[in-house]
Amino acid sequence: MNENQEKTTHFGYKTVAETEKASMVADVFHSVAAKYDVMNDLMSFGIHRLWKRQTIASSGVRKGHHVLDLAGGTGDLTAKFSQLVGDTGQVVLGDINSSMLKVGREKLHNLGLVSNIDYVQMNAEALPFPDNSFDLITIAFGLRNVTDKDKALRSMYRILKPGGRLLVLEFSKPEHEVLSKAYDFYSFNLLPKMGELVANDSESYKYLAESIRMHPDQDTLKSMMEDAGFEQTTYQNLTGGIVALHRGFKY
Amino acid sequence: MLTNFIVALVERILNTSLKLDSTLIDKLEPVSHKRLLIDIRDWQQQFLLVFTEQHLHLYSTNEKQFDCMISGDIDTLIALKNPAMLTQLIRQDKLDLQGDLNIAQGFSNAFSAMDIDWPEHFSRYLGDAPAQQLWQIMQNAKRQGLVTDKKVAATLTQLCQDELKVTIHPLELDQFKQQTRQLKGQVAQLEQRINQLLQLH
Repeated sequence: MNENQEKTTHFGYKTVAETEKASMVADVFHSVAAKYDVMNDLMSFGIHRLWKRQTIASSGVRKGHHVLDLAGGTGDLTAKFSQLVGDTGQVVLGDINSSMLKVGREKLHNLGLVSNIDYVQMNAEALPFPDNSFDLITIAFGLRNVTDKDKALRSMYRILKPGGRLLVLEFSKPEHEVLSKAYDFYSFNLLPKMGELVANDSESYKYLAESIRMHPDQDTLKSMMEDAGFEQTTYQNLTGGIVALHRGFKY
Repeated sequence: MLTNFIVALVERILNTSLKLDSTLIDKLEPVSHKRLLIDIRDWQQQFLLVFTEQHLHLYSTNEKQFDCMISGDIDTLIALKNPAMLTQLIRQDKLDLQGDLNIAQGFSNAFSAMDIDWPEHFSRYLGDAPAQQLWQIMQNAKRQGLVTDKKVAATLTQLCQDELKVTIHPLELDQFKQQTRQLKGQVAQLEQRINQLLQLH
């Protein structure tokens, strides 16, 4: 085998070198960061707020907990967690992308949430925290952009405290054929056009649609979490499986 | 998702009430960061209520982690608006309470003592005198509405129960509910028994 032959991965429907994916994903999010929240509301008709509410409802988070909101972007989950963990807890908003972190920090500061939030630029595959550090890790709409998902899941497992839980909120496979077709039409025809009109960037939203299709389905992701060491792994389909919330524990 | 949407709306209303009655935040302070799980039996739904400094958080959840859990039918839980009913409802087995009783009482006391000064809030937009007048009109309309509502309800009940005979009496419904609960218990016992017998053989 040629030693120089590079390992490849998916970037939407394209096949790219593993070493290139992170920077390509970074470019996408640098491009959309400023309009990220507006586009989220527009593209999901505001339903992303309900998906995130379900994540918080399933988190079991309470006062004093240490929470890592991975790929936390503009800080929707962090804002709620910050209130729920109180002054004795701590929330780390982590993202690989500096532009997203900047938007998130500004938004949370404007909400008056400053005392218990740290902002860390980090790669999910090599989380810069000691073993057994967090009671809860969430990654919402971020895992599909990670190059080596198995490595990222193992890294999350390492830094979770025993008894802690991981919540993965991510686009998934619709349960019904009719919904799936309507969703495909929406994703590949309307979504890039909306991206072009609002954020002046159709390519990033084309990548979004493609990356969703390349992401593992519900059962595959569940198996991946189990392989990484998580126990009592379950998932809950939201909006007919367009999004799934996976949950796993470390004991 | 529909439940989540409705719960989000209710949470928004609760948080608006916190802004309208500033004393509510002080009244809720003793239950700050305590998790109250409300199990509405006849809806088969559980809701988690948490107060944190300035916000109320309400979620529909299956989580079993709580500091206090109250479980009962919706009618029973509505009766809790009067905090004095708490002990009576527990004795009547209509209400199941686990964990720290003070948390349920804390939330109940705070909301039952809620007193929003509506004329004061209206006066910001209308001025003092029109706001007071509007408030009096609204109070009169509410009184009239309640009287009319009672009359219509009584007439409709009589019509449906006695004349048309399309509905049953509330006592019959209570009896039916009780019998259903008994049957559920008996079926559970039978299931347990069958499982034991299956294990033996």
